[in-house]
Amino acid sequence: MIDIDLTRVQGNFSLHAKCMLEAPVVGLFGPSGAGKSTLLGLIAGLIKPNAGHLILNGETLFNDKQAINVPLHQRRIGVVFQDSRLFPHLNVRDNLEYGFNLLTAKDRHLGFNQIVELLEIGKLLTQKPHQLSGGEKQRVALGRALLTSPRLLLLDEPLASLDVRLKHQILPFLRRVKDEINIPMIYVSHAIDEILYLTSHIAMLDHGEILAVGQFNEVIHDQQVLTLAHSLGLENVLHVQVLEHHPDDGFTVTRLASQQINIPLVNSAIASIVSLSVAASNIALSTHKIKGVTIQNQLVGTVTNIQRVDTRVLISVDIGHEIIAEVTAKAIHDMQIELGATVYCLIKTQSIHPLATIA
Amino acid sequence: MATATIFTLSPAEVEALMLSTKVAVYCTLAICIPGVAVAWLLAKKSFFGKSFLDSLVHLPLVLPPVVPGFLLLLLLGSQGFIGKWLQNTFGISIAFTWIGAVIASAVMAFPLMVRSTRLAISQVDTGLEAAAQSLGAHPIRVFFTVTLPLSMPGIITGLILAFSRSLGEFGATITFVGNIEGETRTLPLAIYTYTQVPGGDIAAMRLVILSMVIALGALMISDLLERKATQRIGRGVLHGKDTA
Repeated sequence: MIDIDLTRVQGNFSLHAKCMLEAPVVGLFGPSGAGKSTLLGLIAGLIKPNAGHLILNGETLFNDKQAINVPLHQRRIGVVFQDSRLFPHLNVRDNLEYGFNLLTAKDRHLGFNQIVELLEIGKLLTQKPHQLSGGEKQRVALGRALLTSPRLLLLDEPLASLDVRLKHQILPFLRRVKDEINIPMIYVSHAIDEILYLTSHIAMLDHGEILAVGQFNEVIHDQQVLTLAHSLGLENVLHVQVLEHHPDDGFTVTRLASQQINIPLVNSAIASIVSLSVAASNIALSTHKIKGVTIQNQLVGTVTNIQRVDTRVLISVDIGHEIIAEVTAKAIHDMQIELGATVYCLIKTQSIHPLATIA
Repeated sequence: MATATIFTLSPAEVEALMLSTKVAVYCTLAICIPGVAVAWLLAKKSFFGKSFLDSLVHLPLVLPPVVPGFLLLLLLGSQGFIGKWLQNTFGISIAFTWIGAVIASAVMAFPLMVRSTRLAISQVDTGLEAAAQSLGAHPIRVFFTVTLPLSMPGIITGLILAFSRSLGEFGATITFVGNIEGETRTLPLAIYTYTQVPGGDIAAMRLVILSMVIALGALMISDLLERKATQRIGRGVLHGKDTA
């Protein structure tokens, strides 16, 4: 558990973050310039706060009134940076062992081989960082941080410098780390689908202040949070089960609760779970099932929430999992959609994006 | 003497060569650690009197070499402030010895060493140093395992520049320790001496050629070492260019 109450003033930007983070994995979400990286830097000890306190699992790491400021190298907080920051003069093995070798045997909770296998970087050990691809660099950087057996792992937009294809190759590794290694994480991103792929627990930051902390499905109904999320591109993330592949026709049939969803062909095994992202703006609503339409997915659900943001209306529909559809205010008025109404969510197969291409 | 040719060095010339090499080697060794320390201070720290220290270090570069030589004589000469004390306390005399020549060279070569190293240290990505600390390394360890290896090409350049400067040092040396054959008569002083005596032109020419060979060699070795060091830190072979 992390108790954060930190203030940092720099030029005309000021950050005042006050919150308690209790979930094992928290996605720190907010627009560029909101202060996400600054907050992470304050927690890691890279930047000194002007005032406040920081308590990690009962240990005070910073308190200006008690003049406590545990130095960076003694905090045992791992950081994965956006630009990986591998040491260019050391090969992959020496990079991985840099922090690992500084630990006494009893402080090593994770084995070298365990991490190398988990992240599939065994073949890279003798290479120098400049020989690695962007995705490989981030896997090594993740491994290097994990091997210090940190009490908390901070990930500062680790995928921001990668293209979409590489992102999808790294995301499963992050999920693996989350599932198989019991280390609390704070994952910073301005992409809501990345965060929701890893965790449903988010903290929303804007203009240097924490707007909300909690389950995404709950905090998203806060008008401020919704407005901000909408402006950053509201994505729905669904975890579905693979039923069958149709390679010739280029699609895969999956299941969400009792309904079937056709998605672009993936190579995941039958019965495995695949995560998808669908933009709220790519979901259309209908009051009845439509015949003679090319849209393959017509998912029935109940309207659970209606909220207006500017000229748009965001409608939450429970189709076995709550998803948000974005429509115009006029359409809602004309169709007379109300809370509790039964609607069909129309989603084109091609507007569904599988989030992780390897299982 | 049957095999002696115009290119054969006389014993006095060999002695000048050996002395020059000895002085340059000791000078380079002497300024190695203080040079890196001062360069680190100037590159990384801000403190009261920093610009004064910076100017002081660079002073020998802009002054006529006779001036530092004369100041050294005032300080360390047998009648000098420190020289007298050394003489009375330990019975050590520095003036007019090869050790004095090393000190004169060191003062003149120090700014070159500091400039090159300072530039290299200031170019090391502070993000890498922060990353090393976040992995649990104490700042001192970070200096030796990250900052120093990544500055190595610049440090090597600085050392070679200092070595070459020391080989060529004339003004400060002759002012401080004189021109004593076998003790302080280094290559440049020997060349100067030969040009002052009738018929010494051939000997002077031999030493001029020798000086040029040594200088060229030093520069080529410097280039080679720098390339190797640059490759080692994974930046490719081109100076300062990132091939990754």
